[in-house]
This record gives sequence, C-alpha cells and structure tokens, in this order.
Amino acid sequence: MFPGASADPASAEYVVVGAPLDASTTFQPGARFGPRRVRHFAESFDDYDQYTEQRFTDLAVADHGDVGPTDDVDEYLTFLRGTLADHAEEGRLPLLVGGEHTVTVAGVRALDPDVFVCLDAHLDLRESYAGNPLSHATVANHALDVADRAVILGARTGSEAEWERAGADDVTVVPPQAVADWEPDLDGDAYLSVDIDAADPGYAPGTGTMEPFGLDPSTMHEAVRAVAPRAVGFDVVEVNDRDEGQAAVLAAKLLRAFVYAHADG
Amino acid sequence: MPRQQNEVRDLDEGSYVMIDDTPCEINSYSTAKPGKHGSAKARVEAEGVFDGKKRSLSQPVDAKVWVPIIDRKQGQVVSVTGDDAQVMDLETYDTFTMRIPEGEDLNPDDEIEYLEYEDQRKIV
Repeated sequence: MFPGASADPASAEYVVVGAPLDASTTFQPGARFGPRRVRHFAESFDDYDQYTEQRFTDLAVADHGDVGPTDDVDEYLTFLRGTLADHAEEGRLPLLVGGEHTVTVAGVRALDPDVFVCLDAHLDLRESYAGNPLSHATVANHALDVADRAVILGARTGSEAEWERAGADDVTVVPPQAVADWEPDLDGDAYLSVDIDAADPGYAPGTGTMEPFGLDPSTMHEAVRAVAPRAVGFDVVEVNDRDEGQAAVLAAKLLRAFVYAHADG
Repeated sequence: MPRQQNEVRDLDEGSYVMIDDTPCEINSYSTAKPGKHGSAKARVEAEGVFDGKKRSLSQPVDAKVWVPIIDRKQGQVVSVTGDDAQVMDLETYDTFTMRIPEGEDLNPDDEIEYLEYEDQRKIV
C-alpha cells in the first residue's frame, strides 16, 4: 500500500494504481519495479503538508494495488484503461504509477482530457520506435489522438521528425531553462504525466533513459502543483531500481504534491 | 431462465454474458496478471443486448459467469406504426410489437431476424 493511502476505495477521492509494465524499455530495464519502489520510498514522508496545511491521510486516498501486465501490451492497456475509467466514473481521481511511460496511454484514454501536460526529457512524439507503435517513445503522439493539445515541459531531446512535429500548433515545448517561469494556460481538463527522466540524472538516476541538462526537483514540484488543480488524472512513470532510491523518492513526493495541490484546488 | 454457466476465460468479443442480471454482448475482453501466484484477471466491457447500456465486469479468469442463451429467430412484418413494427414469428405465428432500430426502414411483409431472450426482443 502507498503510505497514507488507507481510505476505503468505495469512498475515496483518489486512487493509486500500480502499472509495472516493462516491455519496450530501450536502455536500462527495471521499470517493473517502479510501483514497489515508489511505495517503499514514500514511507518516510510526513503526513502534513505545510504548503496547503493538509494531512495526506485526510484526503481520502486509496490504493488499488498493481495491475499486472501480460505479454500482450495492447490488451494490457485496454484492461488498464478500463480499470482507470471505472475509478474515474465512481469519482476517484487515478494516480497511476509506472512502469514504463506507455502506461500513460491507458490513463489518457480513460480520462479523455483536453490537454496533455507532460514533464519529460524526451518529446515522445514518434509514431513508432524500433518497429513498436506502443513503445515508451510514442506516448505524446498517442496522447494527441485523445487530447487537443500537448504541453511538454523540460523536453531536451528528440529525433528530427519529432522536433518537426513539435513545431505544430497543437504541441508546446517548454525547454528546461524556461519551466520555472512557465505558467499553465490550459483550456479545459488536463492530464498530468510525470516521466521521472524529466529530472536531471543527478537527481533521478534510477530511470530507463537518462538525459543530461534536466530539471531540478523544486522546479518539477512547482510545475506539478501548478497543473494539479486543473487535472483529471495523474501519473508518474519510468522509475526503475537502478539507484539508491533517488528517482523513486522524487516520484513519490511529486505524487503527494499533486494530491495536496489538487485537493487544495 | 435460458442460460448456462461458463468460466470467464471462455468469453470472447461478440459473445454474450450476463452482467447485473442483464444479457449483454461483449465488445472488449482483456486480461491482466495480478501476480505470480494469483490467477489472471479478466475485464469485460459489454453493452446490454436489449437496453444498449454499457456495463463491465472484472473477475478472475476461472470465475464462473452466466451466459444467456439468446435465440435468433425469423419474423415477418405485419404492420408499421411510427417507430414500432408488429411482427409475426414465422415458426410459431405469434405476433408482438418491437421497436424499429434507428436507420431501418421496414414495410409490411418484410422478413426480418430478431433476438429473443425471455420476454425481451430486438430486431437485428
């Protein structure tokens, strides 16, 4: 159980759902351990949040447990989408914990947001990668099948074709050095996805595809808190077990920051 | 009640299943694995055959579910009144009134197929 997520699911406002998918990882595997690590490294946090003067255990957060992947990723995403949609229909905001970034596709399909906001080192605008249309590198492209716009915060790498795609009117890329000054200008509901590799590798080395010149944790914290009140869904993804807990503890803290800020709305 | 018991794993897209005591047609079947030592879970998304409402169930693949036995029958249109058609079953000669599906244009003497489950009927 995610620490503090002790509410009865039937009456919860938020629900943590683990999605330990680790199928298309292209460099350092281990995203399957993300949900376990994130739950574990959240154990040391205080219940009280001084920014919003709330206690996490007062915010009606439940833990669904993990939805275990099968070999068929497409079918798994269908199952996961349905699970998340059920929670949303019953009034619980899903807090999805990956797993590789591909799980976000299920979240976006379930929540049907107007705007997809993503903290990510990578553009993830490919149509397929290594012949796989459900690769972790295609997430923003899939999100734009559902959402009208994508805002990618902290992106600093992509293929030539991705940067061309990013130049279209429905994509906004905010480079790392501009994220601290970014203010949300969002029309409608947002879905917020946090790929932990948005952080500089010095802060979150436990991730599949590290990319230097990244965001510092405080900037990520402020961005999450700024978007949270407009969000209908949240995920944090791409945490693996290849560090001493830095990536997982940052992911867990950002999840909690999202809940505090959303509840404070 | 014409129905039989199956395991969830035997269900498939396009087949029928009872959800909330209502016969439904399955339009999505997917599975997930809860863990190494648990049985896989299946999720079924379906639509009520007669009421069109979306329903879903999520259960272990070895759980038992009821599958309705829905008859597909032949009928002939006797008369049409607004959105309703009076239809005669071509086997039993029983007549009954059914709603005409949206977009269908039916006339007297047209032969149609319909689904029947207990006292519920629907033109296909």
